[in-house]
Amino acid sequence: MIWEVFRQEAAGDYHTHCGNVHAPDREMAKQFAVIQHGRRKPAHSLWVVPQDEVAEVDEDEADFGGSTDKSYRWAMTYNDVEPAAREVADSEAEQAEAGADRGDS
Amino acid sequence: MAATADLAFEDLDDDEREAVRTLLFRLADDEYVTAERYTEWQVRAPTLESDLALANIAQDELGHARLWYDLLEDFGSEERELVWERPPEAWHHATLAELPYEEGGWADAVLRSYLYDVAEDLRLAAVEGSTYTRLRDRVETVENEEDYHLEHAQNWLERLVDADAGHDRVQAALDRLFPYALTLFAPADPEVEARIDELGLRDRTLSELRRDWLDRVVPYLESLGLDVPDPGDTDLPSAVGRDGEHTDHWNDLHEEFTRTYRDLDRQGTVRIMPDPDDT
Repeated sequence: MIWEVFRQEAAGDYHTHCGNVHAPDREMAKQFAVIQHGRRKPAHSLWVVPQDEVAEVDEDEADFGGSTDKSYRWAMTYNDVEPAAREVADSEAEQAEAGADRGDS
Repeated sequence: MAATADLAFEDLDDDEREAVRTLLFRLADDEYVTAERYTEWQVRAPTLESDLALANIAQDELGHARLWYDLLEDFGSEERELVWERPPEAWHHATLAELPYEEGGWADAVLRSYLYDVAEDLRLAAVEGSTYTRLRDRVETVENEEDYHLEHAQNWLERLVDADAGHDRVQAALDRLFPYALTLFAPADPEVEARIDELGLRDRTLSELRRDWLDRVVPYLESLGLDVPDPGDTDLPSAVGRDGEHTDHWNDLHEEFTRTYRDLDRQGTVRIMPDPDDT
């Protein structure tokens, strides 16, 4: 049986998926998770979840983000305002990066 | 002598130094050789998870051995003399640690780890208040890493005995290992052991530790449906290890782990970790 493991580095952080372990039951899954995922990297807490219990929606099923152009939602729309507020500048950089990752020119 | 005394190397006469050295060799060699055997499971354990778990435990035990060997360096030996250049007959681990596993003997590995880790737990508790300060100061660090070793072994044992085939394998391992496990409590030299107790280096004698160990191990194993050999009827194996007398398996293992050192014609060791005293 496969258990997915999520590690939280510090209190308040999100638990981030970090891998999985094979184990016959919850107790051993927790122990293996500690050994494999809690020893070398900073860990404050681990979640161990049976893989079957993770519900998944993928892009074949869902139209993530909708099908119409949503670019008006991006902070880039406010490019003309000078100087931009710090939050706007940060968000713009983030969006530009996301755009680059998608292959937008 | 009060358990709160603070003994340092400089305070001790030759006989007392021998007592401290004997105690440290017992701790260090058991950890080192146990770990050496555990590493044989790397890439061979039943699952990736069990492989990594045992490798991690081996790594812990090697780290603990290092802490104890480091204290032995205070007596004038270097690491190379303590490990790589020490002849096999000068090692004092219990023979339980050196026995090879039977092929595919995962039950053996798990049971051996359990038998050893209970003994380890008890003897560390017995040196928590040691009069030898340098030893006492390191006990807690080691203890903190030992808990999950025992938990790991027990988790496996409880699951192995669940099925008939697993139960039989654990039983066979128990019949084979039990006499060797008793060597953990064999004296190196009764006179020196008495000196260890008199100096307050540990607060339980070997025979008390043996009794404590039996009080824990026997009921637990019986609760798993295993037949534990009667300790009163069990003879120690001819080689107990503590006195330098070992099985032939030890020579092979010693030959193997010192081979690279000899092949490369090494004259010393390379340190990649800071001295425990500097961390």
